[in-house]
Amino acid sequence: MADLDDFKTRLKIAKEKLKKHSNNLNSNENGSFMGSAFKLGTELVSAVAVGTIIGYILDSWFDTKPWLMIFFFFLGSVAGILNVIKVAKKMQEKE
Amino acid sequence: MATNPMHQFAVHRIGPEIKIAGIDLSFTNASLFMLLSAVAICGVLFLGTKEKKIIPSKFQLISEMFYNFIAKMINDTAGSKAKPYFPFIFSLFMFVLFCNMLGMLPYSFTVTSHIIVTLLLAVFIFIAVTVIGFLKHGFGYLKLFVPSGVPALLLPLITVIEIISYLSRPVSLSVRLFANMMAGHTMLKVFGGFVISLGMLGGWLPLGFSVALTGLEILVAFLQAYVFAILTCIYLNDALNLHH
Repeated sequence: MADLDDFKTRLKIAKEKLKKHSNNLNSNENGSFMGSAFKLGTELVSAVAVGTIIGYILDSWFDTKPWLMIFFFFLGSVAGILNVIKVAKKMQEKE
Repeated sequence: MATNPMHQFAVHRIGPEIKIAGIDLSFTNASLFMLLSAVAICGVLFLGTKEKKIIPSKFQLISEMFYNFIAKMINDTAGSKAKPYFPFIFSLFMFVLFCNMLGMLPYSFTVTSHIIVTLLLAVFIFIAVTVIGFLKHGFGYLKLFVPSGVPALLLPLITVIEIISYLSRPVSLSVRLFANMMAGHTMLKVFGGFVISLGMLGGWLPLGFSVALTGLEILVAFLQAYVFAILTCIYLNDALNLHH
């Protein structure tokens, strides 16, 4: 019986070690989650910036300051959200 | 000056000033490190392919790893049609990776922490992908901007939004790499400055942070090169396999 108990405790310790190891692996994945969060952020911001710049250029062409810039700022925001949805869909497909 | 965390990003001239037609073309520390990374890539690949053994040497092993890694990535994301573009994506990945990694050496200069370098790479990719798309599909490539199943009333608005979304690709691609590299290197320098200003008494804590951050930065250097290459593959996939 003593042998069996010994084996059981050893098994328990080994299982806990395995659990810890897999937890560590999960925390490694969290590191790349930070990367994907950064990715989503830049997608959103860059579309807004591009939209606003297009609006600014069109404004100076047609002399309609500041209406086109405001309009294209909102279009850019929509495009940014669209980008984020596209990227998030791709991320979910991977899992 | 040495404690200024932004001082490491300064570009300065090495050797004589060269001016052609009013444009400053002098050799700078940025050009030096681009040249160094190109030489390092050629060196590693040359040593790796010099003698082909069944039991590989270290250099052969690392070259084969890079080759397999990129080949698998292209196959997974862009399919077999993207095979002809392997040399381009391979050189792109190696260049960004070696620039990032060389920047991790003390006293070195990180080329990719300058927006002009990353923006140039991204704009080149953007133009190349657009040209490939038009060559493969003709004017059918414009279908990318007109998603199917949209009410006719909303169509002009959606098309403009899709065009903005398409134009934002090079911006997000370049800003991501540049911001990651610059933020990381500034942070390393700031923590390094803390070690000196806190001295023997309190300097140990920021020193520990610096060591941990160096490890994180090496991970980021690899990850950003990978992200840059995989996004190029995804854009290439959009251009080659048009599906809407």
